[in-house]
Amino acid sequence: MSIQFKSILELKSMLNSKTISSSELIEETFKLTKDLKDLNCFVTMNEGSAKQKAKQIDQGKYKNNSYLTGIPLGQKDLFCTEGLRTTCSSKILSNFIPPYSATVVKKLEDSGSITIGKTNMDEFAMGSSNETSFYGNVHNPWKRSYVPGGSSGGSAAAVAAGIVPASTGTDTGGSIRQPAAHCGITGMKPTYGKVSRWGMVAFASSLDQAGPLARSAEDCAIMLNEMSGHDLKDTTSLDVEHTDLLRSINNPIKGIKIGIVKEFNLNDLDSKIQEKFQDSKKLYEKLGAKFIKISLPNISASVPTYYSIAPAECSSNLSRFDGVKFGHRSRDSKDLNDLYIKSRSEGFGDEVKRRILIGTYVLSAGYYDAYYKKAQQVRRLIKNDFESAFQTVDLIMTPTSPNTAFEFGSKGAQNPVELYLEDLFTISSNLAGLPAISIPHGMVNDLPVGLQLIGNFLREDKILNAAHVFQKNSEFHLAKPSLEDF
Amino acid sequence: MDKKTVTTICYLARLKIDKEKAQKIENDLEAIIELISELQNIDTSNVEPLYNPLEKTALKHNDVIDSDNQKEKFLDNAPSSNEDYFLVPRVVE
Repeated sequence: MSIQFKSILELKSMLNSKTISSSELIEETFKLTKDLKDLNCFVTMNEGSAKQKAKQIDQGKYKNNSYLTGIPLGQKDLFCTEGLRTTCSSKILSNFIPPYSATVVKKLEDSGSITIGKTNMDEFAMGSSNETSFYGNVHNPWKRSYVPGGSSGGSAAAVAAGIVPASTGTDTGGSIRQPAAHCGITGMKPTYGKVSRWGMVAFASSLDQAGPLARSAEDCAIMLNEMSGHDLKDTTSLDVEHTDLLRSINNPIKGIKIGIVKEFNLNDLDSKIQEKFQDSKKLYEKLGAKFIKISLPNISASVPTYYSIAPAECSSNLSRFDGVKFGHRSRDSKDLNDLYIKSRSEGFGDEVKRRILIGTYVLSAGYYDAYYKKAQQVRRLIKNDFESAFQTVDLIMTPTSPNTAFEFGSKGAQNPVELYLEDLFTISSNLAGLPAISIPHGMVNDLPVGLQLIGNFLREDKILNAAHVFQKNSEFHLAKPSLEDF
Repeated sequence: MDKKTVTTICYLARLKIDKEKAQKIENDLEAIIELISELQNIDTSNVEPLYNPLEKTALKHNDVIDSDNQKEKFLDNAPSSNEDYFLVPRVVE
């Protein structure tokens, strides 16, 4: 029986009924990774350890039996994995083997899941098309010459191609939700602080958050249940009770209030994308939701705010890559300063350099107040806008991305800002620390389109409930790419 | 954004830009600065900056040793080391 395109729950039921053993499941998964090697989803495979763990599970040596026991997962290549190369899709970390695992990886592995490999991504998560990876582009499973989105492009493509039922991603400005939308799967960015960032290579520490990419909202809830939790090793981790997200997932959504942002002029979007949005609104109305127009007066400032704050934090975080303690070191440096400059210049790609330079600029004397501090002030205004809106609505609905996936090389090559504007709908929830999901809601020009639901602080339960009810009443999330080009 | 500014920030960031890419980088940075300059139109007088969405001060640990010395494990990843230290080019002549 094929395991391709199966959800976590379907695979779990096959394992429980002994239709398949854990070892057979892992064997089949690696067969798929080889058959679909051209997608370029993975940077490093974990075949030996994965097969060994599956065998232990089959032999009953693994005590835990959670939803994820025996389930194969992809881990984005910016989570440290003990003994398994972690590159962030960068040349500078091409030889880095972490001495420890990220909390997220450890929690998922302790629940019995099996890491099958590290997924390709934009270098250091900087990009929204997966074109900045040192290890080459990931292809969109729906159309080979199209981007999968980014930065978690490998994680999204691996799930969309049915290789793994779920994978981990990280989202700093849309890096889970946008590739999920472009690949036709479900992806969730949780509330800032819900999931530990320990062992996750930092890009912009006040915006980064790890989350799941999966075939359904229900599978995202299963993943997030295991990933969440207070962690003393992450000083921004939330010390709150994390409720079981499956408990309320089937609740009726009659009476739920959904906000439509009046500042987002959806008429500017492609008419077919508008049509999908209206169709989904109608479906929600049929299910009992009430739509309310809300105002987020500062929302149009979210892109410039983000592109000041994120590069500033990136320039600071990436100063640790200096060729001294780990990672790439240039071979011919005459002194220590030369070693720093050459190692960094050889190790980083163009987009990463661009962002480090912008960050250095906005943090430098004379510009700090005008750009960096200013952006943090606007950030508060954006957060305040959301706080007011959530006094009247339960959720806010927007498209995930203004466009479908685009062809390789067609955007941002002349001017990077063109690509930055693609993040319009996703960026504000990172600035405000709010949870948000992208669910597939149809196809435009044979490419998937995503619908975004943003929730209030720590209300992942409401988001997942609304997303799951939508998926129980539609079949968009069940669509599968033919993969005939691969 | 002129050549001199680009040279200064490149030095501060310890990055060297290839000559053939210098003009492109200069244009890109110019475009990004133009984008973030849009923020100047927003009135933020009396608005406190929001540096972190949680607005909490960092949690503190008790100062206790909770793991073994893993010196070898960490030195294993070093591009150059002896049995005790990371090695770098000579700093003091």
